[in-house]
Amino acid sequence: MEYLGSLILIALGAALINNFVLYYFVGICPFLGVSRRVDMAFGMGCAVTFVISIAAFLSWVFTTFILRPGAPLSNWIWSLVNPGSDTVVDLSILNYLVYIFVIASSVQFVEMYVRKFHPPLYKSFGIFLPLITTNCAILFACLEIMKHVSGVPPAQMWDLGRALTLAIFGGIGFTLAIVLMAGMREELDLCDVPKALRGAGITLIVAGILAMAFMGFTGMDQSLSGLLTG
Amino acid sequence: MTEAATAAGPVDSGPTAGERFINGILPENPIYRQLLGMCPTLAVTGGMQPAMTMTGGVLFVLVCANVIVSLIRGLLKPHLRILVFTLTIATFVTIVDRFLAAYMYQMSKQLGPYVPLIIVNCLIISRCEVCASKQSVRVALADAVGQSIGFGLALASIASVREILGSGTWFGMRVLPAAWPEWVIMVLPPGAFITLGLLMGLVNWYVDRRQPSRR
Amino acid sequence: MRNNYLAQAWLVILLGLCFGGMLAAVESTLSGRIAQNRLDETVDQIPKLVPGATREASTQDEIDGERVFRAENPAGQLGWVISGGGQGFADRIELLVGVDARVREITGVYVLEQKETPGLGNRITEEGFLSQFAGSPAEKELVVVKTGARAANEIDAITGATISSEAVCRIINQTLKRMRGDLVAALDKE
Repeated sequence: MEYLGSLILIALGAALINNFVLYYFVGICPFLGVSRRVDMAFGMGCAVTFVISIAAFLSWVFTTFILRPGAPLSNWIWSLVNPGSDTVVDLSILNYLVYIFVIASSVQFVEMYVRKFHPPLYKSFGIFLPLITTNCAILFACLEIMKHVSGVPPAQMWDLGRALTLAIFGGIGFTLAIVLMAGMREELDLCDVPKALRGAGITLIVAGILAMAFMGFTGMDQSLSGLLTG
Repeated sequence: MTEAATAAGPVDSGPTAGERFINGILPENPIYRQLLGMCPTLAVTGGMQPAMTMTGGVLFVLVCANVIVSLIRGLLKPHLRILVFTLTIATFVTIVDRFLAAYMYQMSKQLGPYVPLIIVNCLIISRCEVCASKQSVRVALADAVGQSIGFGLALASIASVREILGSGTWFGMRVLPAAWPEWVIMVLPPGAFITLGLLMGLVNWYVDRRQPSRR
Repeated sequence: MRNNYLAQAWLVILLGLCFGGMLAAVESTLSGRIAQNRLDETVDQIPKLVPGATREASTQDEIDGERVFRAENPAGQLGWVISGGGQGFADRIELLVGVDARVREITGVYVLEQKETPGLGNRITEEGFLSQFAGSPAEKELVVVKTGARAANEIDAITGATISSEAVCRIINQTLKRMRGDLVAALDKE
């Protein structure tokens, strides 16, 4: 129950309270670029959620078993090469390099897989896939997971369930924000916006108002955690 | 590439080093005109100090990446170039991250994930692709410095507005009287979006007004 | 064909080796300093969190998978400094809590990391709020009250930031509850 409670809190935090786009400002580029129509925004959101889960899974595995200080696999290899040495192997300097390659290759694989086996799906959101490699939201999710896995005491380390919850609900939060934005922009097209503000300007201002609305969620997990833990 | 460039001469396509440098600052400002690298622009502009540290980081990574890419531009295979760019950028970002953690620990904690996020900052990869992979080292260097200054100016403008209105200080020094009711919203996320939106409108308005006279 | 791929990738491999060397050099020069910075952040606070303890005499320990600090002076152990964290109003709050050796009394609290609302929630880092915790009982749960704390385990909330104040108390309560048994057991074992 306590574990489930912690998952719910992570999920709420990632999707609403500390929304990836509106609180951490990651994934702003697609948020401004692909939020013109609701169906496209939704496709982008789904693609990001999908890739973010795969990247989070892989980066959790790599960080836990290979990269973090004292990771089992790298230490085992070290002890094979250097028997009797008690050095703790720390490969965390390679974290960022590994993450960016994990993201790039998972985007490639998802694209190939979807194109081959689900052509209709590919038609609807395949065009967004190459763009996703440079989407900060995905690297950000990997970094958040790293913060809770690499260099923290074993008792506080996140397991795979927590990492995936953060990633999936982060993606859902991103989808929510971008779809809301697209809905508003469809209406904005009918308005008389001052010429200088057209395009990115007014979108940012509307995003600011949306962010203010999302601030209303802050603090709600406090009372929720009180309920969950009794 | 452009008509003007082919007319100017066959030796070097595109603008010269000096023009590249000037271009980066306002006419092709990465934030206001190209809408690149928005994520740190919004996230670290709550105060001038983090904004300027971020600019320093971007300057270092962009200069190093541009110079290296420009040096090896003759050897680049088209389908491997993005891989090479990413490898270069990620390496230098790691160096910046470690450097900050070693010598400016508090600042590195404050910037948190936004230092590693420089890796996916579209500004850097787009400069490698558009300029450095086609131009000589000198031009690539000028371009990197110009674009970074443009990036820094944009960050400084947003950070000044947000820090002065939001906490009454600039670079941590008090500039508004203590009686000033601090607009807390300006240092919170919504303030970032609204400030950038309004400043972008201002820049567009200014450029639009100057455009006819230039023609 | 396979040879061809290798021939095309030689640049990437070469660059990879060069960058790997650079990173190794950076890591070997700076890692000691970074680790020291991380440690100093906590160790510098020990004399303030447990009065009488000195920075030099204090040692780091690991109990039940968590990192704790024994706040000591040359005469012996005076208390513990333990860390805890949890969700605050806007983002996570990370705290250091100083307690006496038998975990009966809180001797000090320090906020390591917070991103609460400026002007309201971020006042949890101010002396006026944090000094209330020194001398509070560690065995009884801390309670936040809005006006006039009377009992030893009552803490005055910051005006306009009740949730942040409650979050701090909750994190302290949870941390103490989790660690008390282990700390006392570790002390008895010696």
